[in-house]
Amino acid sequence: MSTVENKEQMPPAEPPLILGNQTFGTVTDRISKLAERKTTLTWLAALSLAASVALLLLGSIGYLFYEGIGIWGLNVPVAWGWAIVNFVFWVGIGHAGTLISAILFLFRQKWRTSINRFAEAMTLFAVICALVFPGIHVGRIWVVYWMFPLPNQMDMWPNFRSPLLWDVFAVSIYFTCSLVFWYTGLIPDLATLRDRATTKIRKIVLGIFSLGWRGGNRQWKHYELAYLILAGVSTPLVLSVHSVVSTDFAVSVVPGWHTTIFPPYFVAGAIFSGFAMVMTLGIITRKVFHLEDFITNQHLEKMNKIMLLTGMMVGYSYACEFFIAWYSGNAYEQFAFINRAFGPYAWAYWIMISCNVLIPQMFWFRKLRTSIPVMFVASIFINIGMWFERFVIVMSLARDYLPSSWDYYSPTTWDVLTFIGSFGLFFTLFLLFLRFLPVVAMFEVKGVLPEADPHHKGGSH
Amino acid sequence: MSVHRRKFLKLAGITALGLAGGAPAKILAEDSITPDSLKEVTEATATPKAPLVARRWAMVIDLTKCREAGDCNDCQKACHLTHNVPDFGNPKDEIKWIWKESFHHAFHEQEHEFLDEKTKHGPAVVLCNHCDNPPCVRVCPTGATWKRENDGIVMMDWHRCIGCRYCVLACPYGSRSFNWRNPREFIKDLQPEFPTRTRGVVEKCTFCDERLARGQMPACVEACKAKAITFGDLEDPNSEVRTLLHEHFTIRRKPGLGTQPEVYYIV
Repeated sequence: MSTVENKEQMPPAEPPLILGNQTFGTVTDRISKLAERKTTLTWLAALSLAASVALLLLGSIGYLFYEGIGIWGLNVPVAWGWAIVNFVFWVGIGHAGTLISAILFLFRQKWRTSINRFAEAMTLFAVICALVFPGIHVGRIWVVYWMFPLPNQMDMWPNFRSPLLWDVFAVSIYFTCSLVFWYTGLIPDLATLRDRATTKIRKIVLGIFSLGWRGGNRQWKHYELAYLILAGVSTPLVLSVHSVVSTDFAVSVVPGWHTTIFPPYFVAGAIFSGFAMVMTLGIITRKVFHLEDFITNQHLEKMNKIMLLTGMMVGYSYACEFFIAWYSGNAYEQFAFINRAFGPYAWAYWIMISCNVLIPQMFWFRKLRTSIPVMFVASIFINIGMWFERFVIVMSLARDYLPSSWDYYSPTTWDVLTFIGSFGLFFTLFLLFLRFLPVVAMFEVKGVLPEADPHHKGGSH
Repeated sequence: MSVHRRKFLKLAGITALGLAGGAPAKILAEDSITPDSLKEVTEATATPKAPLVARRWAMVIDLTKCREAGDCNDCQKACHLTHNVPDFGNPKDEIKWIWKESFHHAFHEQEHEFLDEKTKHGPAVVLCNHCDNPPCVRVCPTGATWKRENDGIVMMDWHRCIGCRYCVLACPYGSRSFNWRNPREFIKDLQPEFPTRTRGVVEKCTFCDERLARGQMPACVEACKAKAITFGDLEDPNSEVRTLLHEHFTIRRKPGLGTQPEVYYIV
């Protein structure tokens, strides 16, 4: 068959996903080397910094256990504060990874291959950070296991009508599935690293974790089926986790919380914030590891388009909440929303609106959504904005049904240190990942190279 | 087992409490509530009484009588003293089981522009409403707070409370408080008959279930000199509360929320 005929049959070509004329060999080499090379001073410095900040978290938690949650700025009625804000913030960030891996996989979006590995890692670390908070925010930390349905001599059993219970299950199932999904995706790449290993220790450790992967046809068949099933299992979880988290608020009768829009609104916000974090980390990783050929402008632009879409969904939700508050005719709801925009936390509200609604509008312009500095700064602002969204929601508590108990919540040093410390934990885990595991899914990237397509020019069919 | 543990404990508790002294009917009728008077009565009364039982406990508070009583705060004093409620001396840590609000705050949606100033800015004694449909019970992850089936009291077990504070948010009446710090150092006059709480748990009014078990009316009811608080069984057509509800127009707090409070107010 001649080349000319072949071209005529082909659909209009999309720009290549991977640049730099990569071959299977160069992909393996470039990505594996990142995990195989000697520890660099920069990495060590970054890890020291991140681990030191993580120590702040440990220290704050230690003091919290010793002294009790009175060290936080909480009061009645603002009995939930930064701990819950941080929990929702981190769980939200933990949405993008599985969305990229599972949902985009099911939709055959090939551009996911360059970013899914680190996005999933980010998901896991964000969920770990999130899980810290519900654990430490209870008054009697030593009995927090009563939230789990563990048969015991006290004849105690959790109340399954409580959204907190739903949370326990939703988040822990999400974490487990994400971990299994991520690990399954790692197996072929771990085997590649094992085969390239030069020291005995690496051979043994990687040998154990690659579970005897040989890369035979039968293994690939099983592998692909397993991956598809896991993607199918994970997809509804992406939607369910944040829906369930939103019920923590929506189920109670607090004005400003008791709305049916919460589940979709939270899911959109979670994807929005998750993508922003993937963007922030992706741009840094790409720069430091010289991965411009793998994480190309095309990838970044597509992520920006998703952020534009989800940002507008979030903006729509903000508007809809106001509309429904007015339309309901409920004086308390109306007050809650007017209070959000013009009350004591108006500053937080307008930070939220600026970061989450206005800033993503830049991405309508191709020039802006393909500019690395612009998208980097925008992604950081979106991260900030999404934290403030949760802050604004939780602070509805400051104006409850009883005006005499109204109060203003101000964080204490311990609130702030705990929050900053959670970033330390997140970056410590992320840096360890960058150092020891393949940052990009090598075998998946190979799958989207022209070389992998049997119909490509010079192919065998 | 023919006797369930809870029932056994309840019986045991009632017996023990009864033997310990069927405290304070007298004390609370006295002019001023002081720890000494409370102790005296506790020590003096040793006759066990039959527990007070009802199918649906309810309270009627006559705000007209409360208004006439002026600055009186006996109900709160008696309740907080009886239940070892700590006084931290600052609003951030404040713990309250029963307290006075202004009518304007407690019944905001039920007033109108021509309501007389006396009523509007007059007192409204507020406490846990022991709702028929309690939003706090629904959200408690461990079942530390529950609606007692036999008499409708929204109970609170501090030993089961893990301190997640969800009930504090869920309660639209602000009836729940949290022990941000160790309360034991802030109890001025410790009453050994009633347990103290630990740091990190939620607490609230329980309609004096421990006193009912000893055959006594709630502390606030007995302490109110103006007789503004009436307590009784809603299911009993001859009870005092039913008579009051029959004779007066009464309102409840936040009826629109569907919680069905069991504390009624005569305005």
